[in-house]
Amino acid sequence: MYSRLTLAQTSQIILSVDNVSVSYGFVSALREVSLEILEGEFVALIGANGAGKSTLLETVLGIQRPKSGTISYMNQDITLKPTEWIVASGISLCPEGRGILPEMTILENLFLGAYHNRGRIDQSMSRIFEIFPILQQRRNQKAGTLSGGQQQILSIARALMARTKLFMLDEPSVGLAPMMVNDVLKIIKKLCDEGYTILLAEQNAKKALQFASRAYVFETGKIVIEGVSQELMKNELVIQAYLGV
Amino acid sequence: METFIAQLMNGLAVGSIYALLVTGFNLLLLVGGVIQYAYPHIVVISMYATWLALKVSGGNLLLSVSAPLVIATALSMATEPLFRPLTKRGATNHTFIMSIGIGMILTHVMAKHLHHGMPISFPENLASHKAAIQFGIAVISGPQMYTFFGTFIAVTAFVLLLYRTMGGHAFRAIAQSPFVARILGIPLGRMAILSYGIAGLLGGVTAVFLAMALGSAYPALGNTLALKVIATVLFAGVGNLGGGLICGLILGTAESLTTGYLPGQWSNAVSFGMIMVVVLFRPAGLFGIRT
Repeated sequence: MYSRLTLAQTSQIILSVDNVSVSYGFVSALREVSLEILEGEFVALIGANGAGKSTLLETVLGIQRPKSGTISYMNQDITLKPTEWIVASGISLCPEGRGILPEMTILENLFLGAYHNRGRIDQSMSRIFEIFPILQQRRNQKAGTLSGGQQQILSIARALMARTKLFMLDEPSVGLAPMMVNDVLKIIKKLCDEGYTILLAEQNAKKALQFASRAYVFETGKIVIEGVSQELMKNELVIQAYLGV
Repeated sequence: METFIAQLMNGLAVGSIYALLVTGFNLLLLVGGVIQYAYPHIVVISMYATWLALKVSGGNLLLSVSAPLVIATALSMATEPLFRPLTKRGATNHTFIMSIGIGMILTHVMAKHLHHGMPISFPENLASHKAAIQFGIAVISGPQMYTFFGTFIAVTAFVLLLYRTMGGHAFRAIAQSPFVARILGIPLGRMAILSYGIAGLLGGVTAVFLAMALGSAYPALGNTLALKVIATVLFAGVGNLGGGLICGLILGTAESLTTGYLPGQWSNAVSFGMIMVVVLFRPAGLFGIRT
């Protein structure tokens, strides 16, 4: 991975969500949600299933439209921009369930990742294969034959094929064995160390707080608590609701 | 034996035309998200365009081959805004009804306004049935060969497009999962419009071969072909590109062989009969549905 800025530089706000509300018909999914992410940060969104984390990620990507509020990326208003524009400017989503194309080969999946980065396909591909040799070994196999953990790695690798600055990951730990969960999160942490910005939505609050530096806690569409991970791990309410064994 | 070979050759020619039609149809279904019943009607009107171009230019082949390509592509793309309100809300089944309507309009235009509704015929130099290859008293005519090999080239080009270009990969991604395609930043709307264009282009090519193979065209041809296309698609499995190609060939050959050995309308009975049997025992079609 190419090293970008280091955290020693003054970090600017890369993503700013301002009072965003989203509804599916009459059902309110997000209610006046605001958050801010600095470049190079590793931020987690924790909360139960259905609390609004996925909706927020999809809204940032332009798949859902907020009925009120604004979203800014790199100081530009992206609230009403089409998904292809948002992806082309550097936001990638690894959706819940990995979002890979099972009928296509690993190579084809990676190829598609470079849809908005066609000038650098060969270099990006060789770099990906260096970092993830398993993908090179299996490059002509159908992506559906991979295990859950390998698919998650493919999903991340595919996002790396684009000129991604902000990685959004939705529940990467779902369905993975605990050891695999650790491996995947370590990879994500490594991405952050290299300068990428990470926004991670996770049901597994324990793991999320272990790796992320900051977190927002979602409950029925609202942010109820936010703070630095160390603090949240000691917070009574968080422990009771989310950090139980 | 010679009848068999002659009919087989004819069947392959006819079958490859069905295969091309089915491919365009499947493309529109998989990437455009529409059931375009009127696709063959667009092809038939393009045949009229070929005929007109031949008349007007006095037999200029270049013009008469470009005319159907242009008309079919333009017509196909012109239907896109008609379908858009339906695809926007995911009403795929309603697009079938819309396309039947478009088919009716096109048939009407041909029946009332083009050549007084009388069949058009294509002159010798386009639809020459002079023997190209002979064995015994069986002949393979020029048009049959051109059709078969021409279709082969068109299909190969299309497959290369799908498997070797980024756009083609994007088409396949949309066909497999519009959601994943979207998060990769693939512009679904623009790709859908492009698929109308490519299907149209393919349709124009098909019109040329149809003109060669049939030697004539008439307003009701759109409906006749549309039924065959829908039936082939059900036979092969809806949306299955490869299956559609093979089944187009199978059905064309079956039809042709029947025409050679059984009288009258038995060819239709055989082809629709085969479809009935497949749909009864393998509802998803011979090769399975790919939505």
